[in-house]
Amino acid sequence: MRAAEIAIPLLIVALLAYALIKKVNIYKAFAAGAAEALPQLVSVLPYLAAMLTALEALKSSGALTALVGALRPAAQRIGLAPELIPLIVLRPFSGSASLALLKETLAQYGADSYIGRAAAVLVGSTETVFYTVALYFGSVGVTKTRQAIPASLIGGAVGAAIGILLVRLM
Amino acid sequence: MTAVGIVFFSVQGNGAGALEALTRGCDGAISLTVALAGPYLLWSGLMRIADEAGLVKKLARIMKKPLSLLMPDAPEAAAPVTLNLAANFFGLGNAATPFGLEAMRRLDRGDGRASDSMAMFIALNSSAIELLPTAVIAIRTACGSAAPYDIAIPTFVASLAAAGASIVSCRLLGRLIK
Repeated sequence: MRAAEIAIPLLIVALLAYALIKKVNIYKAFAAGAAEALPQLVSVLPYLAAMLTALEALKSSGALTALVGALRPAAQRIGLAPELIPLIVLRPFSGSASLALLKETLAQYGADSYIGRAAAVLVGSTETVFYTVALYFGSVGVTKTRQAIPASLIGGAVGAAIGILLVRLM
Repeated sequence: MTAVGIVFFSVQGNGAGALEALTRGCDGAISLTVALAGPYLLWSGLMRIADEAGLVKKLARIMKKPLSLLMPDAPEAAAPVTLNLAANFFGLGNAATPFGLEAMRRLDRGDGRASDSMAMFIALNSSAIELLPTAVIAIRTACGSAAPYDIAIPTFVASLAAAGASIVSCRLLGRLIK
């Protein structure tokens, strides 16, 4: 995205120019805003640590792999290619891990194969739900997350299903 | 989740592996915080400048109406929510996070419980509506795809579907889970 790369710095220049016209003390305002950011960062850290520790435990212990294995029969029954299951399971947990897995999948099955394209759409259209939840709720100390996680996971599942269907029609 | 992982490690008789994984998780939190710190300071500073110039109020006034359909009790978070969604749309994850944290701070009522608006904001954030999935396209190019961009439209449609499903289920589940 070349356009976006230029657009954002230009937007910042425009912002500074506008603030100058409005006689804002830019230096002071920037420092005040940045000062507010620091305690915020520190308060997020413990929640991130708890969440990432749990994720790491699930990943490296093989619990996620076991979940993939358990889902396999059900997935085959609804006509889902078993090659895609690890990606679907991993996606909400880790962004970097799913990008690595996507690379592996493309290398193994071919970037333009059905599996390769479906995998790409899957990764592109969904988010790392657990990371988002840990970071955003952690930052304000919310522990009762109510419907946020199930609603996000349902959304992700629907997105994955639609994405795979679209690729099949392509 | 941590307990499930430790049980799996124990079944394999791999206690050292368990401890190593747990430490790795905390290491990850530190490096993530450090990686976030730079952009967070930058965008918080810029956001304050925009605020003092009156721009945040303007944006909030424009977006209050459309956003109130999704997040009725959160007029004061309209500006950061809009900026967060816009940054995500243009694929600027680094800029999106500070706006998201600011939005959460304005939505928070300090009772440790997610409001419907907070849950809706998370649900919106979980559906990756992005103009171009640049990371995925880069990987496809690297893996020798003949047409790396041809997944862009299905990806976009799929994330719209995901957003729609998230919004609907967030509304419905919000009534069930108090």
